[in-house]
Amino acid sequence: MLLVVTYSQAARTTLRNVCRTHESAVVRRLGRAALLEETELGAFLALRLRAKHDDDVQIERTQPFNEFEAVPETVRKAAAAYEDRETASTPYAKFAVGTDYPDPEAMRDADL
Amino acid sequence: MRVRIGDRIREGRAVDLTGIDVAATAVVRAIDGEDARIQVDCPSPGDTHGHVARLPPETFDRRTALVAAARSLGHTSSTQATLEEARAELADLSPPSVDVEAARRRVAETGAAEARLREQVAELRGRLQARRQTGADTTAVEAQLDEAVSQLSAAETERIAAEQALDRAEEAARTARDRRSRRLQLEDRVANLEREVRRDLASAVWGRFRAALRAVPGDATAGAAPGTYDGDRETAALAVARLAPLDAPVVVDEAGRFGGAEAAASTLDAPVIYIG
Repeated sequence: MLLVVTYSQAARTTLRNVCRTHESAVVRRLGRAALLEETELGAFLALRLRAKHDDDVQIERTQPFNEFEAVPETVRKAAAAYEDRETASTPYAKFAVGTDYPDPEAMRDADL
Repeated sequence: MRVRIGDRIREGRAVDLTGIDVAATAVVRAIDGEDARIQVDCPSPGDTHGHVARLPPETFDRRTALVAAARSLGHTSSTQATLEEARAELADLSPPSVDVEAARRRVAETGAAEARLREQVAELRGRLQARRQTGADTTAVEAQLDEAVSQLSAAETERIAAEQALDRAEEAARTARDRRSRRLQLEDRVANLEREVRRDLASAVWGRFRAALRAVPGDATAGAAPGTYDGDRETAALAVARLAPLDAPVVVDEAGRFGGAEAAASTLDAPVIYIG
């Protein structure tokens, strides 16, 4: 999908109007951002916004997130285990100590 | 106040133009000094005057008119200082512009060039293979292949450099967007504060507005809570004209509600040019 994020009141207003007029090309409206269909129409609308508002419009192309493809098993298991912890107040850094779960610093520096 | 139309001159706080063929809009223009035929000598109009220059008004934004009236009566909002600060901060915040487009274009172009050369290399390899199998001379094809392979290698280097440049440009753009995000937050904050100031100012004169409504001709009622008004816009405009301090005259273009120029000036508590 195409993620369009706006960075000014004027751009946000245009995005709102565009979304209202072209509902079929809009997957989701999220405040000052929107997900547009990955079609030529979606691209046309996104580019129109950028042509009008320049740097106040950010356009990204999104991909579905497949954790089984992109994320190491240790990270997936750590997330599940942490959400299943017994004490709600335990921060993850502490939770990971003495286990095989990766520590937050290591994860921060590891690109997917 | 002194009004001159051709060789006719009228003076006083209530000027009656009954019987003179003159349009209200022309008189309003004359008050602003923009009419050649009519000359009005009067103090220059203040901010509220624009809202009630002509009665009945063609358009009337009650809230904005009340805010202007409140200001001219010397009211202020405690939020005003905060608003000024937010405006100043917003004015100082100029997010840098980052040109990512050129970098994107270069990535696309170098990528396409590389793909083209890769295809060419594959094709030449196929031809070379075929010629070897049939025992044909391979010298020319080999030379072409060598040339294409070296071009491909250069194109690859070029593409990688372009991708790295794009990464850097994207990184810079992200930082610039943080500033833009902050600016948008400030824009929203300024808009909210402006609304708050307007609400304060309109509330400050609401009591006067209600009292003025009772004094001017017309059927309108206003509740104790600011903003609760039930009536036509002309009556609201008359009330605003009455409560606001007006130095420049208002042009009353309606015979029905007032008995004449003097009555209008007295009820509106303002200098009046009356067009009967």
